[in-house]
Amino acid sequence: MSEPLIVAVPSKGRLMEQTAEVFARAGMVLKKVGSDRGYRGIIEGIDGAEVIFVSASEIVEQLKAGRAHIGVTGEDLAHEHVADMEKRFQVMRKLDFGHADVVVAAPAAWLDVRVMSDLEAVGRDFRRTHGRHMRVATKYMNITRRHFQANGVTSYRIVESLGATEGTPAAGTAELIVDITTTGTTLKANGLKVLDDGVLLRSEATLFSSRAASWTPDTRAALAEIARHIASL
Amino acid sequence: MAVETSDSFEALEAQAAVIMAVFNEAAYERVAPSIIQPADIFLDAVGERLRARTYVFTDQDGEMLCLRPDITVPTTRIYLQRHPEANVAARYCYNGSVFRYQPGGGSPAHPREFRQAGIELYAQIDEAKADAEVLLRTLEAVQTAGLKAPKLRIGDLGLFDALLDAVDIPERWRQRLLAQFWRPDAFRAELKRLSTVPGSAVEGLPADLIAKLDPKQPAKAESIVQDYLDSHGIEAIGTRAVGEIASRLLAISLDAHSAPLPKAIADLIENYLAIEAPVRAAGARIKDLFQRNDIDIGEALDAFERRLSLLTKGGANIAQATFDAEFGRQFEYYTGFVFEICSDELGPASPIAGGGRYDELLRVIGAPRPIPAVGAAIYTDRLLLAATGATS
Repeated sequence: MSEPLIVAVPSKGRLMEQTAEVFARAGMVLKKVGSDRGYRGIIEGIDGAEVIFVSASEIVEQLKAGRAHIGVTGEDLAHEHVADMEKRFQVMRKLDFGHADVVVAAPAAWLDVRVMSDLEAVGRDFRRTHGRHMRVATKYMNITRRHFQANGVTSYRIVESLGATEGTPAAGTAELIVDITTTGTTLKANGLKVLDDGVLLRSEATLFSSRAASWTPDTRAALAEIARHIASL
Repeated sequence: MAVETSDSFEALEAQAAVIMAVFNEAAYERVAPSIIQPADIFLDAVGERLRARTYVFTDQDGEMLCLRPDITVPTTRIYLQRHPEANVAARYCYNGSVFRYQPGGGSPAHPREFRQAGIELYAQIDEAKADAEVLLRTLEAVQTAGLKAPKLRIGDLGLFDALLDAVDIPERWRQRLLAQFWRPDAFRAELKRLSTVPGSAVEGLPADLIAKLDPKQPAKAESIVQDYLDSHGIEAIGTRAVGEIASRLLAISLDAHSAPLPKAIADLIENYLAIEAPVRAAGARIKDLFQRNDIDIGEALDAFERRLSLLTKGGANIAQATFDAEFGRQFEYYTGFVFEICSDELGPASPIAGGGRYDELLRVIGAPRPIPAVGAAIYTDRLLLAATGATS
């Protein structure tokens, strides 16, 4: 049998449901098959494609390694975990769900801080006054580093935060944060504001293809078939 | 290097022995710093951009570590362990591997693991003499190892500091320009802002608050800012105090009341940074530029001249060297003299050796104050290639 096109789909929660909905609207019904605990499936009506159900962050790894040909995951995860993302992944389609922004947020009380370029001056003053760097709590270490550098902000240190990031400034374990937000209400409730130019990434669920996967006539044909369905959305 | 053949391994070892013999002869004591280093120290010294080029990892105990991306910082740590007061002159040399992250896993031209041999000279009070000594020893080492026609490029960040000190410019603006010096685009933007609309940062800030802040009454600023926060229901959270916020708002308000930086001063700074010429011609141009603008940086210029004459006396072919006022801007920890040795074989994009003065680094690592320090590193893989034509 020829090699199938591997399609990686989120394995749980709203992301899985919404992916299934979008695929169904495009005339492609995702169906779980087999006995291996529901982590494999097919797309009804598409020959030569096989679905794997894995977590959104694992999908990024599968695409990176070329073990999946295409997959649905958040742009935030792709940008954070793939160096040279644009060269290794191709965006097939933004799927218009799972919207969230990766933002820089500082205490609302920082009346002197409006834009990213203010942070360099604040960071330098902070270091002089406190004898240590201003800390930025985030789980997006790479996105943070890239954007801060692009904005000439160098006087800071990243502290990795894997949960409740928005509470770190009030708790005194960081001075500001880079985090994902949908409405901004959680940030506000924690005494934070998003900088005017502090949206680093507008993320949504996206269908990516992997340049590292093995692209044979068969997998290309299955891809073209899926692309045709997606184009009908 | 990604793959070390036994041939190039032997050749590198033999070359290292030659280089180390030159350094030992000049009374540089050999040290062997650890390959695994605490990441904190590098992050403090270099900043977060370190992570873009360094293997940073967490060990089983949660300690954040890195593979050394250079050997200067590890050597400096050894010096400070031995001399916590940093009050004793010391000469160290080293030879070993350094590690830099390369996207895609590295290539022969951009290996993720390569070697450096180098020297560091600490707490030598006569700075011009120390600068010259380090460059002369480095030249001697690469020439003894077989480099035929070293091409020398030098710079002097001390001249720029002296220039900023000598011109009539508010201290807070001087500090801002000095801090942005390392990012040429941001520096140019800041210089343009200061010489056109210095108060532009005030835009978008609460106008009623700014109007209440009087730069002549700084003591009142904190309570004015606190009142503003209270009346707007904003809670002051976090470690940055209201007083710190108030003093930066005051500085912004002061900028808004200040006349722009005279164009003549902005031009002078730009013109200085544009100087790139053979060393002697560059020296004359600097002198001329400063005289025309009535700027006296006598001491820094004397140090520059004295260093050149010490280098000439020591046998360096200074007439052939290039001076570049911008040189050194990409390495934030340099503070004074900087130099680079290139070869005809590998061209200017692949220097054989580089070094300079880094007086601030010791304080960052834990010395009680800035300590004179100057050093150089030889990229020995490149040296081998240039000196023998060997492929590695």
